[in-house]
Amino acid sequence: MKDAPLYLRPRVEAPLASLLRDAPFLHSLCDALGSPLNVLLPEAVAENAARFRSVYRRHHLAGRVYFAHKANRSSALVRRLAACDPAAVGVDVASLGELRHALSCGFTGDRVMATGPKDREFLWLAARVGATVNLDSAGELERLARLVRTHGLGRVDVLVRLSEFESDDGHAGAGTRVLSRRSRFGTPVAGADELWDALERHGDAVELAGLAYHLDTTGLEEKARALERCVLLMDECRARGLRPRAVDIGGGFGVGYVADAGEWERWTTALSEAVLGVRPPLTWRGHGYGLRNEGGTVRGTAALYPAHRPVAGPGYLDALLSRPAPVLGRPPATLLLEHLNDLYVEPGRALVDQCGLSLARVLDVRPTGDDPTRHLVRLGMNAGDVSLEEHGVLVDPVLLPRGGGDGDRAGDGPVGVHLVGNLCLEADLITRRLVHLPRLPCAGDLLAFVNTAGYAMDFHAHHAQRQPAARTVAVTEEDGAWRWCPDEDYWPLTDPQGVPS
Amino acid sequence: MRYDNITEAIGNTPLVRIDPAVHGLRHIDLYAKLEMLNPFGSVKDRPAWHMARPHLQEAAADGGGTVVELSSGNTAKALALLAGMHGLRFKSVTNRMRVPEIKELLLLLGAEIEELPGQSECLDPTDTDDPLTRFHQALSEPDSTYLHTDQYFNPRNVEAHAAGTGPEIVKDLDGRVPDWFIACVGTAGSSTGVARVLREHDPGVRVLGLVADKADFIPGIRTIDEVHQVGLFDPATYDSLASVTSQEAIDGMVTLIRRCGLLSGPTGGAAYQGAVRHLASVDAGLTGTGSRRTAVFIVCDRAESYLSYVRARRPELLGGTRRGHLVTSLTDSEVRAGARVVGVDDARRWMAEGDPRPLVVDLRGPHAYAALHIEGSVNIVDELFEELVRTGLPFSKRTPVLLACPVGEKSLRYAALLARMGHPDVRSLAGGVVAWRDAGAPLVRE
Repeated sequence: MKDAPLYLRPRVEAPLASLLRDAPFLHSLCDALGSPLNVLLPEAVAENAARFRSVYRRHHLAGRVYFAHKANRSSALVRRLAACDPAAVGVDVASLGELRHALSCGFTGDRVMATGPKDREFLWLAARVGATVNLDSAGELERLARLVRTHGLGRVDVLVRLSEFESDDGHAGAGTRVLSRRSRFGTPVAGADELWDALERHGDAVELAGLAYHLDTTGLEEKARALERCVLLMDECRARGLRPRAVDIGGGFGVGYVADAGEWERWTTALSEAVLGVRPPLTWRGHGYGLRNEGGTVRGTAALYPAHRPVAGPGYLDALLSRPAPVLGRPPATLLLEHLNDLYVEPGRALVDQCGLSLARVLDVRPTGDDPTRHLVRLGMNAGDVSLEEHGVLVDPVLLPRGGGDGDRAGDGPVGVHLVGNLCLEADLITRRLVHLPRLPCAGDLLAFVNTAGYAMDFHAHHAQRQPAARTVAVTEEDGAWRWCPDEDYWPLTDPQGVPS
Repeated sequence: MRYDNITEAIGNTPLVRIDPAVHGLRHIDLYAKLEMLNPFGSVKDRPAWHMARPHLQEAAADGGGTVVELSSGNTAKALALLAGMHGLRFKSVTNRMRVPEIKELLLLLGAEIEELPGQSECLDPTDTDDPLTRFHQALSEPDSTYLHTDQYFNPRNVEAHAAGTGPEIVKDLDGRVPDWFIACVGTAGSSTGVARVLREHDPGVRVLGLVADKADFIPGIRTIDEVHQVGLFDPATYDSLASVTSQEAIDGMVTLIRRCGLLSGPTGGAAYQGAVRHLASVDAGLTGTGSRRTAVFIVCDRAESYLSYVRARRPELLGGTRRGHLVTSLTDSEVRAGARVVGVDDARRWMAEGDPRPLVVDLRGPHAYAALHIEGSVNIVDELFEELVRTGLPFSKRTPVLLACPVGEKSLRYAALLARMGHPDVRSLAGGVVAWRDAGAPLVRE
């Protein structure tokens, strides 16, 4: 049993599955455009937006799904989303550059939400185009109000981002404290009164459109508590004469990367065993991903993204909206609806689930020095080009042999390999995990890292050692054939090549 | 029996033989060690008292402090009671309280509960701010008044069973050691302590440890990964480890309850089911040898706190049918055919000029109603309204009624149901309170 390959095979759904089956097409792309290469499926992002919207419909909720642009720099994805129903889909931008990009992709200002740390230029352009400004602090409110008055910009819609719901014990169940990680963003709920005063004071410059939070947790309890608290605070605001309409619950809906729960469970169990030393290491130099062996007991927490998620994305939103809220007992969806609030969400990773892959050419294959059954596979990419590891995501790449087919040859079978990058640097490993592939790859084959569109595609890419940065292409399927164009040339017309439909 | 103090009633629990007609083993006598009969209700009474006793004496002398433990179950329960008896506070720190009744019970016992944050969604692998590390730092701060019983690492957890549970089993079997001992592994305290004593008497005893299936949850049992994080867990304690599922746990629990008169919870059920499963093949091998064997398993706690656990996994066990009118019994076409609707403008006219004017019923929650509602409306929250439909409505059939909900969906169903029940003039506000607001019609605050 212990020698069986410890796969973590990716969850691949249509249309990504159909793209992977067309290995000759992907090989020809890489031959022409080089390795590494990012491939995006703009149609898939529109389908994901529709899935989120269907959760809204099920709960009779109004409000927009805002794409968290920081998850991917691509133009194709943003342009495709700009083509969706303006009342249903918006974009969340976290920098001046992202705001300019979103506007250039076809989003009108009223569909844009400006979040994150903001400099004056970012605030000015957001206010000028009529974007909603998601305020991080009272200080930012002061700066915005001053800017609006000085430059005659007209009233700006604002959301107020709140934080630290745990220390707010006014509405918590007696005796119970649900702890949350502290965030450096947002205004603590305990100090919200000053914020309401400031909003009233600056009523000529800003209009409160709603309240927001974003909690970095997979825990539904913490989020349900914050959501319920926001609903009650919305009523307090209204009682003061403010007119907020929406509760923005941020993102963090999650993605399931690994298809099979059993594979994920076997691998994580094996990691504990390897850390205890009862089985050979599963990683480069016995790395424990945060687990350590203290006298035969495993201590520490594995710093890993939960790669198999039975409930993620729109399903997670549905679960959050459906479970009873901690104080009032009614589900958050019912509370939002009954208190006449719209719902905003800002999914990033979950909205670009299944929307892209990253290709790397196999450059060299050789046995590791110490173990002839394990091999080093050197790729035409480096760790910055596919930053799954950086985000704690463990999932296998898909092997696409050069000649097509399975490349079935004598003596072939499952093999453990270390994937190393193209930098002249000991630390340049695509992953520290020993990756099992169905057979040993050879130079010229491709490895496809699936589902990299969220944070893993270009988030950490760089030009160190003058290695080539990945080009990005958008692909669409038509009558069973795949067509491509450079990301920057994609527009949401029926044919990306510009052929009239 | 007379005691000065309830802690004296801890231990000396009965060992009860399971009727062979129930378990079907022909050559093995199977005994249940009824730890659920300890005064605070579980096997954890022993280690809780043994671990806390020295702390409690110290703290009582120093005049205060808080007992703290990582527990979401029976250890917390026992410690909360022990702390209360000694005038101390108790705080339970836990990843998640997964059984709501236990959480409420702990609050009743005066415990404070601290739930640790969930896993990070946007992972930062360099983040060392592990919630448990912070917990341990807080405990070791110089002015800390926390008394940490540390059940997963404290050797006194094991000693409580080596001094109590183990010897009691041997004594009740007339000085003999059972051939098998079966225990669920939580803190590994009971299995390690009992196994140590049994082996001292007879090295031939076989010890079976039961863990939960990895993706599953059985209260008080750890999964195969989680046991490696337990300081008291030593794989050498067990001749074998096997996993059980929550479905098996409930099967075993139902057998013990319905056929043996043992009001066991799911953990005891898991031990019984795991024991019988393991022993069945042993039993077959004994046929014709003429020898008899003995096995003992632990019934850890009682059933009452696990109703929601059972409901989530086997609702049919808690079944029961509803009577009276049910809004869910109407099909969509019956709703469409049977319900009268009225738009915002017509509703406002009806409310102003109707003779008689309609009673306006707002079906939303009380907080939403308090925040904004249609003037003159009464609030009957939908859950209560559903109850009233079955048991009797607080208005006459002669009263015209306007039903309002957020978007006019629930009110439509109730309008159809009330029409079927013989109310001649019940109408649903089309588009609900949302449409009312969007039309600019007035809403008032409480």
